[in-house]
Amino acid sequence: MLKMTHLSKVYRTEVVETYALRDFSIHVKEGEFVAVTGPSGSGKTTFLTIAGLLEEFTGGQYQLDGADVHGLNDNQRSRLRNQKIGFIFQSFNLIPDLNVFDNVDVPLRYRRLPGAERRRRINEALERVGLSARSKHYPAELSGGQQQRVAIARALAGGPRLLLADEPTGNLDTQMARGVMQLLEELHRDGATIVMVTHDPELAARAQREVRIVDGQVIDLAVPTRLVENAAPRPAV
Amino acid sequence: MLKYNIGLALRALRRNAVVTALMVIAVSVGIGASMTVLTALRAMSADPIPAKSDRLFSVRIDNWGPDVPNNALLSDLLSYPDAMALMRAHKGLRQSVMYAPVFSVTPQTANAIPFTATARAAYSDFFAMFDVPFAAGGPWTQADDDARAKVVVLGARMAQRLFPAGDALGRSVMLGDGSYRIVGVLAQWKFQPRVYDLSSRLYQQTEDVFLPLTTAADRKLLSMGGSYCSTAAAHDFASMSRSECRWVEFWVELSSAAQKPAYLEFLNDYSAQQRRIGRFHWPANVALLDVNQTLRAEHIVPGEMKIATLAAFGFLLVCLVNATGLMLARLSSRATEFSVRRALGASKAQIFVQCLAEATVVGMSGGLLGLGLTVLGLAFERAILREDYSRLISLNLDTVVTTLGLALLAVLIAALYPAWRTSRLAPAWNLKAE
Amino acid sequence: MDIIPILRALGRRKVGALLIALQVALTIALLANSLSVVQQRIAHMQRPSGLDEADLFTLSNQFAGSMADLSARIRSDLAQLRAIPGVVDAVAVNSFPLRGYGGSTGVTRTPDPKAGSLNAAEYAATDRTLATWGLRLIAGRNFRAAEVSEFHAGESYAPPAVAIVSQALAKALFPHGDALGQNIFLTTTAPTRIIGIVARAQTPWAANESAMFGAEYSLLEPMQLVSPGIAYVVRTQPGRSTALLPVAQQQLYALDRVRILSDAQTFPQTRAEQYRSDRSLALILVVVCLLMLVVTACGIVALTTYWVVQRRRYIGMRRALGARRADILQYFHVENLLIGGAGGALGIALALGANAWLAVNLETTRMNATYVLVGTLVVMALSQAAVLWPALRAAALAPAAAIRGHQVEIS
Repeated sequence: MLKMTHLSKVYRTEVVETYALRDFSIHVKEGEFVAVTGPSGSGKTTFLTIAGLLEEFTGGQYQLDGADVHGLNDNQRSRLRNQKIGFIFQSFNLIPDLNVFDNVDVPLRYRRLPGAERRRRINEALERVGLSARSKHYPAELSGGQQQRVAIARALAGGPRLLLADEPTGNLDTQMARGVMQLLEELHRDGATIVMVTHDPELAARAQREVRIVDGQVIDLAVPTRLVENAAPRPAV
Repeated sequence: MLKYNIGLALRALRRNAVVTALMVIAVSVGIGASMTVLTALRAMSADPIPAKSDRLFSVRIDNWGPDVPNNALLSDLLSYPDAMALMRAHKGLRQSVMYAPVFSVTPQTANAIPFTATARAAYSDFFAMFDVPFAAGGPWTQADDDARAKVVVLGARMAQRLFPAGDALGRSVMLGDGSYRIVGVLAQWKFQPRVYDLSSRLYQQTEDVFLPLTTAADRKLLSMGGSYCSTAAAHDFASMSRSECRWVEFWVELSSAAQKPAYLEFLNDYSAQQRRIGRFHWPANVALLDVNQTLRAEHIVPGEMKIATLAAFGFLLVCLVNATGLMLARLSSRATEFSVRRALGASKAQIFVQCLAEATVVGMSGGLLGLGLTVLGLAFERAILREDYSRLISLNLDTVVTTLGLALLAVLIAALYPAWRTSRLAPAWNLKAE
Repeated sequence: MDIIPILRALGRRKVGALLIALQVALTIALLANSLSVVQQRIAHMQRPSGLDEADLFTLSNQFAGSMADLSARIRSDLAQLRAIPGVVDAVAVNSFPLRGYGGSTGVTRTPDPKAGSLNAAEYAATDRTLATWGLRLIAGRNFRAAEVSEFHAGESYAPPAVAIVSQALAKALFPHGDALGQNIFLTTTAPTRIIGIVARAQTPWAANESAMFGAEYSLLEPMQLVSPGIAYVVRTQPGRSTALLPVAQQQLYALDRVRILSDAQTFPQTRAEQYRSDRSLALILVVVCLLMLVVTACGIVALTTYWVVQRRRYIGMRRALGARRADILQYFHVENLLIGGAGGALGIALALGANAWLAVNLETTRMNATYVLVGTLVVMALSQAAVLWPALRAAALAPAAAIRGHQVEIS
């Protein structure tokens, strides 16, 4: 589903060259639930932006659902994002002017779907996250957990091949967090491919497997000691 | 998608109501001011007879020569001998010499007090040339011209005043100290500006009385319009009609605009002939101006109007710059929302269109409010302008459409940059602090 | 206060700052030029005609019916008018200053038809005209009754032996100031001797903007005009002209009904009518300027408020680091001054440029530099006042509350 090979991402300013990701490889197969962890500044957010086609990468290869994303223009990336990827953000990012139904509707409006089809998908998605009763409510009227579930419904409505979650429970209290994680696990059981970025090891444990990033590279969890010995020299700053 | 975008726009605008209100008001005030002034400008300078304005011409002939100062061919007046010569030559499809005598009119009722009437002395062709509409009867005939018949055509207002029962046709009326038979009554004739008589006030209403020029000449009626003499002024009709004073107008209708060079050649030939017989001592200096050229040459739009127009449009520009700034602020404060939309798959074009949809809603609201302000502005204008201008100021369908169109166009232009910048936002979501 | 960081901060918000600067510039350009035009028009409207306007009213008379013995009818009219209690005198003339239309003639110093001539308004005046109108003789003498002859409209015209001219005409014809006693030529046939010069007498068309002829080139000829169309100028005792105007009309109709009286106006009314366009323009410009100032002020308030909201975090941080409220206030005022300064410089250039263009294309006169200065000061002061409210709100932000969340910026 998501295959990155020897990916690198370099930020260049006039003075300095920073490698956010270097020689980064990851392969997420269809139906997997992968947690991506790492300390602050490790590059996991960069990984997620690139995986979500929100940013370009400098070197290496990225295949999404079998197709190489290299050289796509902005419109093509937008379309791919719209159709294949569902985003779940830490700060739900619902549009305050719109009610729940219309919020879930937003990504569907960027494709050409007949009204009936859209309504069907939205209702299905809301059903899935258990919020059908609140479709006319506004985000301000919902709890944090409910808002996140609306965001998940929004991610699902398009029928994405891949769900990308960035600290999905970061802004929720423990009880709500548990509810959201339960939902994610359910989705996974139903066959969804989920890549979740988190710094919380407890959350990471609930995924199928964990990929750890340090200094822009994937660390094989099975060999932590070898990491320290074979650490690549830091690039000159 | 359009309805969806408009719906989004309405909700977004409502959320930030104060800024939206400021934008709408700024746009509407700018539009109101501009349209108020523009309406007056258009009324004053619009082509009065677009159907044939390119084949109706005023003729100018220089009969003074280059030695006379202030002798530009800008005045539309000709000398009487030249005008009559052109009339006799009959080279155009229709033509008429004309001028404006003044009359006192005495109603036929007993003890009636006489009043002044405006008049036009012309040839029978005049009515066909200027598409003058008749309510009853018709123009006098060429035979009447030749016979110096004492016939008249009354303007609608005059007919109503003298014969309230509406039976003017065939009756007679006392003009000056003579009796004239009424052969025609005009319908309401809206013809502004009155291009055929630039020396009296251009926007006066239709003349009260029309009579054959031959008859007026017979009665030795002098013109109340301007007269310009290079040498001593003549003061009586006989001298005026022999002198080189310019005091009559001459208009000709050609069968098509393509005939213009031929007629111009005729004028040059005439001028050369006058030179041969010793009357002119200079090369031919003639001009043939169609309706719009005549209006432009006359600078009929007073300087005040032009200055006011510039001020109003300068003001509109300020309002638009203002609107751009406000639009920028509004869109900026929703940058996160747009970044999220981009992340969810909106293309740049779709974001751009969404922003323009918001601009459209603002534009339409601004236009409607601006229309209201224009109505107020027009009332204000009518109150302060000279009477003959203020009569022209009215709100018609054309103005309404222009107001709304201008508002929409203006706001869309103002929104172009903010919309473009917004569409170029990178797709993203909030980065948590790292 | 260190300007560089403020400039840098502005640099990140180039477009917004540019828009405000542009608004300021346009407002200055418009304001300066409008004020200049308004002042010109007011000056134009205030020029005296030379007449004692407060005590005069005029009537246009058109005799109807039989045209026999117009001379006697005019004499009776004048007698009737003069007999009204409160009327000082009345004259019958072809036209008068600020009437809007009248006769004019070319005037030269020599009988040579090719000589450049000045165009002057002609007034048919009797020995009583000067006193009735209130014209002030500064040299020479008035007409004598014996010099005044009747001129019947339609007769052939012979130039008079003598004439009185306005000072402006005299100076134009004889720049060395020796006009009195000189001959001028109204036609090529016979000379006319200048026997009197009045301080000022405007032409009938003096109010017209596009008058080619000098507004004060007038000459009076010793003639009593006899014509069906004639103007009566009536002088009353101070304060009586408004009341006596309808009386005069009644009396004339009572004397002879077969006539048409029109344009019965006191002189102040005539003046107001003639200068209506100028007044309208001045009014329109003032209204537009006021509206424009309001719009610009609101725009600055709105945009600055937005910037305050946007930078809440940084303002809070500054306060946490020790800035006082006054420092925050000062920051915004300095920032606004920089933008306003740039706008002001651009505005001055625009104002002068626009003025030059106007002078060439619309025949306005060049504007006094004062107006640009006044315009700039007014707009910049307005701009500073406008920024005060958002700046106060910024300064009032509690230091801690401001540190929260990110805002992504556009522009």
